Amino acid sequence: MNEPTVFIVDDDQAVARSLRWLIESVRLRVETYASAQAFIDGYDAARPGCLVLDVRMPGMSGIELQERLAAQRIRIPIIFITGHGDVQMAVRAVQAGAFDFVEKPFNDQDLLDRIQRAIARDGECRDRDLHQARLRTLFASLTPREREVLELVVDGLSNKAVANALGLSAKTVEVHRAKVMEKMHARSVSDLVKMAMQRQAWD
Amino acid sequence: MLPASDMLWLALVVLGGSLAAVLIVLGVVLARLRDTERRLDEKESRHESVLDRLQENEYRLRTIIESEPECVKLQAEDGTVLEINPAGLRLVDANQPADIIGRKIFSVVAPEYIDIYRENMRRVFAGEAMVYEFRAITLKNRVAWMETHAAPLRDARGNIYALLGITRDITEHKQAEEQARRHQTELARVARLSTMGEMATGIAHELNQPLSAIANFSRGCIRRLRGGGMSPVELIEPLEEVCEQAERAGDILRHVRDFVRKSEPRLKPMDVNQIVRAVVKFTEHEARQQRTLVRLHLDPQLPKVAADAIMIEQVMVNLVRNAIEAMSEANSARREIAIHSRLFGADSVEIEIVDSGPGIDGNLIDQVFDQFFTTKPEGVGMGLAISRSIIESHGGTVRAESSRDGGAILRFTLKISPQQSNRRERADSIHS
Ligand SMILES: Nc1ncnc2c1ncn2[C@@H]1O[C@H](COP(=O)(O)OP(=O)(O)O)[C@@H](O)[C@H]1O
Ligand SMILES: [Mg+2]
Repeated sequence: MNEPTVFIVDDDQAVARSLRWLIESVRLRVETYASAQAFIDGYDAARPGCLVLDVRMPGMSGIELQERLAAQRIRIPIIFITGHGDVQMAVRAVQAGAFDFVEKPFNDQDLLDRIQRAIARDGECRDRDLHQARLRTLFASLTPREREVLELVVDGLSNKAVANALGLSAKTVEVHRAKVMEKMHARSVSDLVKMAMQRQAWD
Repeated sequence: MLPASDMLWLALVVLGGSLAAVLIVLGVVLARLRDTERRLDEKESRHESVLDRLQENEYRLRTIIESEPECVKLQAEDGTVLEINPAGLRLVDANQPADIIGRKIFSVVAPEYIDIYRENMRRVFAGEAMVYEFRAITLKNRVAWMETHAAPLRDARGNIYALLGITRDITEHKQAEEQARRHQTELARVARLSTMGEMATGIAHELNQPLSAIANFSRGCIRRLRGGGMSPVELIEPLEEVCEQAERAGDILRHVRDFVRKSEPRLKPMDVNQIVRAVVKFTEHEARQQRTLVRLHLDPQLPKVAADAIMIEQVMVNLVRNAIEAMSEANSARREIAIHSRLFGADSVEIEIVDSGPGIDGNLIDQVFDQFFTTKPEGVGMGLAISRSIIESHGGTVRAESSRDGGAILRFTLKISPQQSNRRERADSIHS
């Protein structure tokens, strides 16, 4: 289930089958869908991979599917395949957040490279999301007092300075600080600093 | 009786609306008349007053029929004309009743309609009231389209003894219909031609599908073969797909060819200046939007050319549009199109379209007529290619040049219509 999958959405069944045959040659998992709607109905956002989409499709177009996914905060990378004269459309799609596009007729290596990059990007995003979620639960496990201590420690204050600032004894601060390190699974102050910075960056 | 004949009056008043209604009434009245007559005959005219009334009625009815503006006639089962009113005589170009009464109706029905006419008659004599159309050839060999409302006439016992027909000339109506139909098909052709550009995009897209599928299947095979460890049997399925997709591409091309074959030109003597003016009208809106001035320098003395007007219009629309587009794309300060028409050699007329745009790059002049050659971001590159094939199918030539002032010049020739050149030769020999 955690193996990345290339999802192909193309109304032209022959093209979809040929893409599957090509992409499977590099031992990637492939699933094909005949319409944007079929994909929306069948896709579980937890599944990693990337989406290969024909810009022009009857019914819901590739661009509309992109909008629908964005509205649902589904961030699977999309590679658009465009035909003759649709490049303008593809450029707009990329500006709207699509990962990449290839113009028909495309070079197979080129398409496969882009797919690999998209899958890598998706993996990074999912790791980051996981990490962020983990950090959020870690921070949530701190008591208000511990959070105050953490913020001052991260700001570079010594135990003594923290004790002064919070009107506590140095010994008490020492205890809180050890508790924070333990709860956050931090091995050093610099670990803590990194986590705090990441949290700031994402919040 | 009287109410019935009064109804007849009424019905005749609204004749324009419903000939069929008149017929039914007329049929009933006539049948009753005959019936009364027969009964009176049997009773040896003991009721003089009734007979008088009958004669009076029959007289009135006759007057009506005689003065009826439409052709009213009675026919026997074998097609013999029994009676016909003056309007009917006029309709078949008869000088006197004897010209047609006693003769078969088929003598004025066009040969290809005789069988249909017979069948219709048979149905009326089987009891049906009908409306039918046929082509008539009158006694003076005039061809006309006719429409007949026919009903069976029955005697008291219900036996059908004649066909009553009201016939009118619908030639004008038919011609209008025919013209409308022709106009319709011409419009369809125009629509087809004007969407040729869109069609080209469509074809490109359509062909791209099987071609990319073929490429993907083949590449997938090559990759697996390179990687090794693949049994040849596994390649059969994808290779079959490749064949299918190649056939699909072939089908698409066949469709295109059929489509193009259908647009063979139908040459007719045409006034080329009139075509130019029509084109200026079609493109007026775009020209105005792009602040482009169109000037005409047309030779009013030109002979007619042999052309399919709609196709030539299409060519000129393409050329004028290209000129408008070139000038607006180049943001030309002066935007002018001059269209000239003139005699060219002994047997042709030349049309020249000059614009004040950037002209065509000397290196590209040979390519602009190629299919799919375009320098426009959203261009299709079929306009000039189609134009050239149209002009060549007319026996003319088309060329592109850049003018000394920088703009583009597009010229094409059309052959003078053969009838026209004969007339010219005759005119020349008279003068010389
Ligand atoms: N009046 C003109 N001035 C300059 N270039 C022209 C003119 N007409 C045609 N061309 C050139 O010829 C090309 C082909 O024209 P055409 O076959 O009509 O296709 P399209 O209009 O789709 O580009 C144009 O893209 C343009 O480069
Ligand atoms: Mg054009």
